[in-house]
Amino acid sequence: MPGLSFDNYQRNQFLTNSAGYNAPKATSTGTTIVGCKFKNGVVIAADTRATAGPIVADKNCEKLHRLAPKIWCAGAGTAADTEMVTQLISSNLELHSLSLNREPRVITSLQMLKQHLFKYQGHIGAYLIVAGVDPTGAHLFSIHAHGSTDVGYYLSLGSGSLAAMAVLERDWEPDMTKEQAMNLCAEAIQAGIWNDLGSGSNVDLCVMEVGKNAHLYRNHLTPNVREQKQRSYKFERGTTAILKQSIYNLVDVVEEPIATTGPDAMEVDS
Amino acid sequence: MADRYSFSLTTFSPSGKLKQIEHALAAVKQGVTSLGIKATNGIVLATEKKSSSVLVNSEFIEKTVKITPDIGMTYAGMGPDFRVLTDKSRKVAHTRYKRIYNEDPPTKILVTDIARIMQEATQSAGVRPYGVSLLIGGHDDNNGFMLYQVDPSGSYFPWKATAIGKGSNAAKTFLEKRWNEELELEDAIHIALLTLKESIEGEMNGDTVEICIIGSQNDNLLGFEGAEGVSGPRFKKLSPQEINDRLDAL
Repeated sequence: MPGLSFDNYQRNQFLTNSAGYNAPKATSTGTTIVGCKFKNGVVIAADTRATAGPIVADKNCEKLHRLAPKIWCAGAGTAADTEMVTQLISSNLELHSLSLNREPRVITSLQMLKQHLFKYQGHIGAYLIVAGVDPTGAHLFSIHAHGSTDVGYYLSLGSGSLAAMAVLERDWEPDMTKEQAMNLCAEAIQAGIWNDLGSGSNVDLCVMEVGKNAHLYRNHLTPNVREQKQRSYKFERGTTAILKQSIYNLVDVVEEPIATTGPDAMEVDS
Repeated sequence: MADRYSFSLTTFSPSGKLKQIEHALAAVKQGVTSLGIKATNGIVLATEKKSSSVLVNSEFIEKTVKITPDIGMTYAGMGPDFRVLTDKSRKVAHTRYKRIYNEDPPTKILVTDIARIMQEATQSAGVRPYGVSLLIGGHDDNNGFMLYQVDPSGSYFPWKATAIGKGSNAAKTFLEKRWNEELELEDAIHIALLTLKESIEGEMNGDTVEICIIGSQNDNLLGFEGAEGVSGPRFKKLSPQEINDRLDAL
């Protein structure tokens, strides 16, 4: 049976409100994600840190998901939710595209995502920036977990969205070149990486230009490479002294080759 | 509705046959010839786009279809049943494999899923068997290139080369002589065209025949770059121009 089970809803309410228990923390993507339109297309970018409370769960996770060859989506919120909802809509989008014999459209993926998220009333914690190119042109949208959508020329989501938006508000201008847009998005993500604890590590980028293939730049920037360790922590041979050595002959080893062909061969399924 | 037909329409005859399936096979035998050939580096599926009138806009008839990026399918028999099976095959590739294992299904797995759908129509209440035989060609990492035929009964056979439909007997004899282990994809396309030529009645050109190949990965057809471990589709439909070029070379 598909969907979420609300059987434990009442019990959980009691436990958290009246019995002093805390709900388990889902792995959040912490996250800074941005999207930005340029003259002939749209570019999205994301950081690569995944957190479980105060712990960095993944230092280089992939937050840029492929909904279709030229429709990509950046996900913030609950990591499992962004991954699964993205894969489900991607699957349905592929079937839809095959059925219609047409390139998939961004607005189609948007509608499918929002209708799914609204149905689950926000319990699926997926906050997405959806962008891509299709026969209708280049598009940039954002979706919130409850199912609302926004349109914009530049957008940011996640815990680092304020840091990123500050950069976008200062530096975005209409009709930028591809390179300008890539740099702007990289700078916006970096604002999140440095200033937001929920974001960090590297910058992933994806450029979707009208009339061209989409281009994913995995680890486009890696400004957080761990420095070389000051010393080697390998123990020298001989560090643990051998005090006594006894050798016991427990078995006699006899080598018997197993015939794989011929009359004495053992029966196997070929 | 449920009361009236709460029994299967396909039932055993005293001789142990299932008449409905026999009739379905007869419908297939009446259908336009289709063929498939497996080569060392690819598979070709070919069929004739026979129309009842010259006024039919044959450009938009689709007899060879993509199911997954690496698997293609064609048929002989009832067009509408093929269309329905195409939709079901595409869906089942996702629901019973891709969504579970996060990769496209290998050919033989998809074949068993499609065969199951066709078999269910021989043992369910109120439905008739599908009036098509399918030729499914695909590639996967474990078995390489595989060509399968699926019949209305749900039985399926792996083939090196085969034909189904009206001229299938003559075509199979023709193929038996010409097929060999070392055939390459281009040779197979050549043989496919020669075989079709034997059974085709009217003119043979890029607009009256439909050919699709499962060949090498077409990374240029992927639509995006930069993602690790993702390769382009192997399925490709030959354009009318590409077919005409090969016909000229015959």
